[in-house]
Amino acid sequence: MNDKIPASVLRSRIFSFLIFVFFAASVFQLFRMQVINQKSYDQKSSENSIKNIPLVPPRGLFYDRNFQLLVGNQSAFTLEITPAFYDKKNNTIIEKVLEVPAGYIDKIFKKDANYSKYLPRKIMRGLSPKFIAWFEENRSELKGVEYISEMQREYYDGVLGSHMFGYTKEINAKQLKLFKGIYEMGDYVGNTGLEKTYEMYLHGIKGAKFYLVDSRQLVLGRYENGESDIAPRKGFDLVLSIDKDAQKAAEESFVGKKGGLVAIEPATGEIIAFVSSPQYDLSTFASFTSSDKWKGLLIDPEKPMFNRASMSQLPPGSTFKMIGAIAALEEGIIDEKFMLNCGGGFQFGNRFFKCTHVHGGVNVVTAIEKSCNTFFYQIILKVGFDKWSEYGKKFGFGSKTGIDIGEEARGIMPSSAYFNKVYGKNKWTQGYVVSLGIGQGEVSATPLQLAQYCALLANYGKSFKPHLLKGFIRNDNNQFIPAKATEINTSISKRTMELVREGMFRVVQGAGTATHVKINGINIAGKTGTAQNPHGQDHAIFIGFAPYENPKIAVACIVENAGYGATHAAPIVKNVIEAYLIKDKPKTKSNTIIAAKEMQR
Amino acid sequence: MRVNYSLQDKFDFLIFIPLLLLVVLGLLGIYSSTINHPTANGNFERQFIWAIVSFMTIFIIYSLPSQIFKNISMPAYAISIFLLILVLAVGKTVYGSKSWMNFGFVGFQPSEFAKIGTILFLAKWMSEENRDINDPKTFMISISIGLLPVLLIMLEPDTGTTMVFMIIILFMFFWKGLSLFEIFVVISPAVVLFASLFGKVTMFISLIIILLLLVIFKKNIFTNISVMVMNLGAGFVFDIVYKILKPHQQKRIDAFLDPMADPLGAGYNALQAKVAIGSGGFWGKGFMHGNQTQLRFIPKQWTDFIYCVIGEEFGLFGSVLVLILFMLIFVRLLNLSKQTNDSFGSLVTIGAFAMFFTHFAINIGMNLGITPVVGIPLPFMSYGGSSLLVNSAMMGVLLNFYRNRRLYD
Repeated sequence: MNDKIPASVLRSRIFSFLIFVFFAASVFQLFRMQVINQKSYDQKSSENSIKNIPLVPPRGLFYDRNFQLLVGNQSAFTLEITPAFYDKKNNTIIEKVLEVPAGYIDKIFKKDANYSKYLPRKIMRGLSPKFIAWFEENRSELKGVEYISEMQREYYDGVLGSHMFGYTKEINAKQLKLFKGIYEMGDYVGNTGLEKTYEMYLHGIKGAKFYLVDSRQLVLGRYENGESDIAPRKGFDLVLSIDKDAQKAAEESFVGKKGGLVAIEPATGEIIAFVSSPQYDLSTFASFTSSDKWKGLLIDPEKPMFNRASMSQLPPGSTFKMIGAIAALEEGIIDEKFMLNCGGGFQFGNRFFKCTHVHGGVNVVTAIEKSCNTFFYQIILKVGFDKWSEYGKKFGFGSKTGIDIGEEARGIMPSSAYFNKVYGKNKWTQGYVVSLGIGQGEVSATPLQLAQYCALLANYGKSFKPHLLKGFIRNDNNQFIPAKATEINTSISKRTMELVREGMFRVVQGAGTATHVKINGINIAGKTGTAQNPHGQDHAIFIGFAPYENPKIAVACIVENAGYGATHAAPIVKNVIEAYLIKDKPKTKSNTIIAAKEMQR
Repeated sequence: MRVNYSLQDKFDFLIFIPLLLLVVLGLLGIYSSTINHPTANGNFERQFIWAIVSFMTIFIIYSLPSQIFKNISMPAYAISIFLLILVLAVGKTVYGSKSWMNFGFVGFQPSEFAKIGTILFLAKWMSEENRDINDPKTFMISISIGLLPVLLIMLEPDTGTTMVFMIIILFMFFWKGLSLFEIFVVISPAVVLFASLFGKVTMFISLIIILLLLVIFKKNIFTNISVMVMNLGAGFVFDIVYKILKPHQQKRIDAFLDPMADPLGAGYNALQAKVAIGSGGFWGKGFMHGNQTQLRFIPKQWTDFIYCVIGEEFGLFGSVLVLILFMLIFVRLLNLSKQTNDSFGSLVTIGAFAMFFTHFAINIGMNLGITPVVGIPLPFMSYGGSSLLVNSAMMGVLLNFYRNRRLYD
């Protein structure tokens, strides 16, 4: 019995059946994979063997109106960590060498926790040579850590332009979702100022380098010897209307002061200078910004991050007097011969509104020249509150100018409707209106609005909306594409404008309030102003344009908590006008030599 | 009465030629996947030498007297157990299991050798006079012989080899005539356990099916209740075992249940293997032209994933050819199991069939993504000297049986 084959035929058949079933299933599966779904597998196969390393293009540059470089790029090293290959034990040592607080790396990981752990995280830009040296020594123990070369912003020749240029910041999750496909994690995008407004032009087109990689993402070599790599395309360069010299002069004049200045070319609306002071150093943002530095900027009582040039809203003071003058002249309420007597003030009801001096008889031109309050208290009453307000709006007050940076305030151009809303119907009297005539009280404007106003005064009521961009330089053929601007026309008669301009001319060139800011050979016209400040020193204001005959530049300047406009704001405007109009002005030293030579003759 | 003495009758070419072709295809796959590899580029040469040694071994064993296998079965089993204990003490840990012994220049896995030892000894013990596998005492002793090496291998731990052993034992018991009910009792917990991997619903469905089968078997109420309790236990064992499993083993189970969940992690190999095979198309990308293989997307492809080299570079044509060659061998082995001189030979043949078939099915299954990724090699094709040698030795035994088979049946 021992030799008998143990099992039955049935059991052998069960084995055969098993073999058959497995064979059939395998052939079926093979057919499905290799014939039916072959295409999709083939695509996967060819895709995942090539690693795509994006090449970030350099951002577009900023030039000034004379094609002088204002903002450029420089290469800098950025630290990257790929979490999949990285050992968190190294956090402490890296953080120590980077000189950042403990937990810094973890914080970045946590922020990007939703992304694949195979994507490198940008840990810090602008690595120090010390760090690079340390890393190169220890790189074998720092798996998953790498540094790459990147472009970062560089600023030239002492032009800060912080509020105008703005800065870039690492893209946030919301933006990333919004611009899917254009940006990737770790990309920098414009966060404020021109960097933000023209982001789409500046960022350029990404390129890519292709590598063959094996399953562990180890690079085996260049794909097709780099022939299919895509070169990144630099962003469009911006040509700004800014004049480097004027900007620099303005920034230098504002050192240690608080306030804003905007200069505009009256005929075009192009902004020549744009300053908000105190400034901050944009190069801080170009590389690593420590949270301490950030906090410092944010809690600084001087508020350096606040864009005063287009955001601060202060009463325009006497610079506003021309509005009343124009309204009265245009409406035929007064003419050039109309005279009023200034006895040092104006009694309205039971209140006495003061003037600075006893001016005696003044007409519209001399009232502007001498900045007579008495005259303009009465003018606004004669014109009527709402008519006056209408003229103010014609000059752009109470609404945004539409400048090409995002931060802008609209200011207040009051009317009876506005007062009804604020105080309630019949809860305010004409007494509230009187001081508006001299730009005090419930009225406010930004330096930018005042500059636009000044440009309109300079150019007989016609100009373009203020803008910083003159044009682009295309990244493919270097062609210059001029930017378009919108025209403004106040439709004020030429005669009215002539009278007001004459008043402004006399402010500087006559016996006015700012005769000390004359420039040899150039006629400046302007108007001083002082905004009363119940919280401290008054704000000094000056608006002015030059040359009087054919205006090339109109400037508005506010210096906060400084005092009289004539004393503190007018000299700054003078400096800017000088810097802009006298281009080949020799340096101070050679100036004195010339002067000395002339004296010898 | 001996009749024909033609070579055809003494030597089974229908086993040997497919075997030879499989080894050649395996060598091609190893060549393609390692020749440009920075660290594995000597593998082809090494495997080539192993192949020559293995074929010499086949012929040596083939020409041995037949009864020798019965005689050495006991010592072979004893040595196997000794080596399995030894490897736990002094073995080298590779990929989380302590299964390798190193002899200077050459490494070897005792569990490979134990397969032959166990098959031979189990076959010998069960084929002795008046052994009835359905007798509880015989059953218990037989299962003890089978489970002793399994236990030792589980300690390494080596999941794949454990599974192979279990199936070898099951097939041999089945062949020996274990009653259907007892087989049902043995298999049903495994079925429930497997079903429980896919969630509680599938588990309860499997339990209901088992309950229905119990009704069909018409056993007494006590038996029915104990079987159900056992199955219920098996249903929940997964949750417990899963917690005990090593992280890399847990990941493999997770990856099988949802390979896309972590495409670069544990599911990675399975996914890339499928991509390799699928992208091969009908005729394949050509020898040395499969980019999945040449770019080394599948780690250690020359071992457990050798089949996807064939799939990618030789396409459906090559893949099906491999399947056909294996089928031929299996069919011939089943044929042989009915022709051997004695029940010892028959049981050894079925044991060997179980061993090759399990390796084959699990390996091909994981390459095609129809079974979990369990690290066991494809017989005769995967890189690995000791595996090739042991499998060839087993083939030598089987070819020896063929030479001495009953020609008159």
